[in-house]
Amino acid sequence: MRPAQDNQGSFLGRISIRRNQFVDVNNEQEQEDLELFQKHIADRFTELLSPPQPPPSDETNTVASVAATEQIMSVTWLRKLMDVFLCCEAEFKAILLMGRDPTQISKPPFDRLVPEMLDRSIKALDICTAVVNGIDSVRHYQRLAEIAVTALEQRPLGDGNVRRAKRALANLVVALSLEDKENVSGGGGGGGGGNKTTERSWSFGRRSGGSSAASKGGATIGQLKSSSWAVGRNWSAAKQIHAMTANLTPPRGNEAAGLPQPMFIMSTVMVFVMWVLTAAVPCQERSGLANHLPVPPKHLNWAQSLIGIHEKIGDEWKKKEKKGSAGLMEEMTRMEKLGHSLMEFADGFHYPAEKDAAESAAAQVAEMAEICRRMEEELVPLQQQIREVFHRIVRSRAEILEVLEQAGKVSAPVV
Amino acid sequence: MAEFESKLPVSGGKNHVFEACHHVVKALRASDNNLDANLRKLLSDLESHLSTFGIADTKVEDAGFSEIKERFKEAVKKICSWETNQSTILEAGLSAANQFFQALYEVQSVLVGFKAFPIKTNPKEKDVYNQATVALDIAMLRLEKELRDVLHQHKQHVQPEYLAVSSHRKDIVYDESFVSLDDEVVVEASSHEDDEQISDFYNSDLLDPIVLPHIKAIANTMFACEYDQPFCEAFIIVQREALDEYMVTLEMERFSCVDVLKMDWEDLNGAMRKWTRVVKIITQVYLTSEKQLCEEILGDFESISTACFIEISKDTVLSLLNFGEAVALRSCKPEMLERFLSMYEVSAEILVDVDNLFPDETGSFLRIAFHDLSKKLADHTTATFLKFKYAIASDESTRPFHGGGIHHLTRYVMNYLKLLPEYTDTLNSLLQNIHIDDSIPEKTGEDVLASTFSPMARHLRSIVTTMESSLERKAQLYADEALKSIFLMNNFRYMVQKVKGSELRHLFGDEWIRKHIASYQRNVTNYERSTWSSILALLTDNNNSVKSLRERCRLFSLAFDDVYKNQTRWSVPDPELRDDLHISTSVKVVQSYRGFLGRNAVRIGEKHIRYTCEDIENMLLDLFECSPSPRSLLSSRRR
Repeated sequence: MRPAQDNQGSFLGRISIRRNQFVDVNNEQEQEDLELFQKHIADRFTELLSPPQPPPSDETNTVASVAATEQIMSVTWLRKLMDVFLCCEAEFKAILLMGRDPTQISKPPFDRLVPEMLDRSIKALDICTAVVNGIDSVRHYQRLAEIAVTALEQRPLGDGNVRRAKRALANLVVALSLEDKENVSGGGGGGGGGNKTTERSWSFGRRSGGSSAASKGGATIGQLKSSSWAVGRNWSAAKQIHAMTANLTPPRGNEAAGLPQPMFIMSTVMVFVMWVLTAAVPCQERSGLANHLPVPPKHLNWAQSLIGIHEKIGDEWKKKEKKGSAGLMEEMTRMEKLGHSLMEFADGFHYPAEKDAAESAAAQVAEMAEICRRMEEELVPLQQQIREVFHRIVRSRAEILEVLEQAGKVSAPVV
Repeated sequence: MAEFESKLPVSGGKNHVFEACHHVVKALRASDNNLDANLRKLLSDLESHLSTFGIADTKVEDAGFSEIKERFKEAVKKICSWETNQSTILEAGLSAANQFFQALYEVQSVLVGFKAFPIKTNPKEKDVYNQATVALDIAMLRLEKELRDVLHQHKQHVQPEYLAVSSHRKDIVYDESFVSLDDEVVVEASSHEDDEQISDFYNSDLLDPIVLPHIKAIANTMFACEYDQPFCEAFIIVQREALDEYMVTLEMERFSCVDVLKMDWEDLNGAMRKWTRVVKIITQVYLTSEKQLCEEILGDFESISTACFIEISKDTVLSLLNFGEAVALRSCKPEMLERFLSMYEVSAEILVDVDNLFPDETGSFLRIAFHDLSKKLADHTTATFLKFKYAIASDESTRPFHGGGIHHLTRYVMNYLKLLPEYTDTLNSLLQNIHIDDSIPEKTGEDVLASTFSPMARHLRSIVTTMESSLERKAQLYADEALKSIFLMNNFRYMVQKVKGSELRHLFGDEWIRKHIASYQRNVTNYERSTWSSILALLTDNNNSVKSLRERCRLFSLAFDDVYKNQTRWSVPDPELRDDLHISTSVKVVQSYRGFLGRNAVRIGEKHIRYTCEDIENMLLDLFECSPSPRSLLSSRRR
């Protein structure tokens, strides 16, 4: 009953007609495609692991800032990662669907592999949602940092300015070092005057630390806070990532040479990307995720750089997990460090400011301001990219299901 | 700014603070052209305010400074007295508020003055400056608390009791065999009943308008003192929490995609229904009011007002979009059509509101997301509609339907179609580009209504045509030609009745109705011919012998018994149709029998006649009553 033009009208559909004519005859073509796919994956992740160095420059400042933006887990890097994912995904879909006889992907072992893959992609969708929500929390941290920056940029710097900065910094530092369990919870209102409360992450800062007036002011509202889950009740990023990896095993024997291979690669990439995102920003329930991701076998060429990135992030996470962290996004890590150091400055501050201390603080304030600026520029676009990833996954799933449906109609008599 | 200013008491008399300020302001304006907009605004306000006193531009003297200091001390005291006060300034009344704002104004004046001449100031003055920064911060923190408390205490919500999603209605429960949709269920189903109530609340205030000037004063003051970021952060947090809370009162739960895909139909149906209501309330009522509130409070700072509004609404809006997208991940089952139609309808309806909520670049991704979702729901709804037809076409039976009554498929499809006229506009727009072969050519014959030739009408007729083919195939399963006719008659009659008795009649049109009435009447004729022709032929007498007449009479009785035994188990559920059938059969059979007996009874002899005319007449009334077991010939009807 479905109108035929649905498929034929699409870009892939048109290509498939053309390729259909020789793909069956030419198995070598497919082999070539698979190898190219693996090579592209390897190249893209190698670039992510060690970004091309910027040309040497006299201005040390520029070099430092360029290097910082390219660093693993920086918001710029995360945006690149999203681009890489979208590229890999597009290439994979072409391999999976283009010019393929629909019945092929409905036969064993694909009758198992394809549903497993689709199942994984649904879980990835929920992770995207959780991460978009988590970035909202980061926006909140950004606003706290901006308050501190504005206050500390005042000249002459008075006790009142420092007081205001301290309040924002205290909230910021607490928010940044909170673990998910405290950071994101549906438990409703928290304890009144304490530093640790159970609320959603973004609304954290105003409650904790700072002057007594701030705590008192916020507590009234905090207690009335209704529960609200980012994704869904009892949803857990850790469980989803875990479930995505559960049946993810490298193809063996004959399968290793055929289509199961790119399916395994794409699934690995997808799980990996989702894992990185949950590591980067606050995310609903992710305890133990630092150790969750099974690394693909080391001998696989395409996986080398991916493993390298994984190890780097994993180490960082394990280090951080001991003291708790809202996210490993590079800017957040630096923000936390600067926050602590500026807190120290603020604690020891006496009007009028001592020249040396003021100068070193000014440099840190400038760095913080730079981080805020970058966040302001890139966080919302990152959110939008993740939404795009979401939609891409949805679209691919629909296309695969459509092909499967056609296959079903071919094998079952149509009335 | 007007509020801030109005709170300043116009205390008479010459005042050195004013002199100092006036001087400072002039100097400041002359010295720096790159002043921050807020500061510039503050300065010009200050200047005009000062000028009303007609104070001369005189040099500030030392005596002046000590008086400034005195007044400043008073101001700081006033501010600090509020630091630990838990009640709101609003509650303390206008004069207390005036005093607070006046004190704040003086502190700010000192700060502005010092900032203008940082080099000249001596240590004593520097100390005053430092104290002023602290006092300002205390005041700002107090205002931040004031903002939270007042926003919280005076928030107003759309009354949830009016918005409760009615759950009493039953819904279509789909079943592959089309058995579950009964006539009664559908009668009440209608999803548009609550529209009026929504529009009643179209312009509800989220904040008591009485406190609005106070909040605006807080906003203007904090912005003037460069505490705009803390203001926005506090404002966003409170308003976002209020929205979250409101979503909880609407019982709009968040579901993951995994949840939505796993959910059983009943729960999902409830959630979809809820979404349809909530998305409308949120976009048309709540967020519209929220945006208005942001503009009222931050209207002087347009881009900030927009940014705050987006931060407040983004999370909730995305969660609503997510649900729509998650639902569209499910395969298009026919039973979901009505829910999809209403979801799509709402998604298309709110686009105007969404465009108004997020008109510019900052909110474009939310605006675009709504448009994309609407498109996605349109595609999904259309696919579901087309699948419905496919499901009908592929509904196959292996055994004849018991008693020749109304098939589940017919009931299901017709009752389903009856729900659709409510969505006429939506369906017409969705289906306008999907070609379909239709039984009724363009505006010929007796139909004049445009609705009869709408895309939706064509598709509905096509669905029914598909169903008719399916019924024809099911009819072939009957061995008995007469029962086949009864089956078709029943089902066609049912279709016609459903169309005539509902809005469907304007869509299907008079020609369709006439043709279908003719069709079931033809089946009545077919039935009568196949059942009774051969039997009534026995009653024609052409100079027969007594023996032959007796034999004919016996054979008639046997044949009649046979018909009776079978056809009392058949079903004609429509009472009117059954009566018609009884009458027309009775007229034919009883008349022939009466004539036969009238001519031959004497010759045949009473003991050879099993049934009187009254017997036959009475027994014919038992036909089509759908008896569970073969009716015994010794039943009460018999003498």
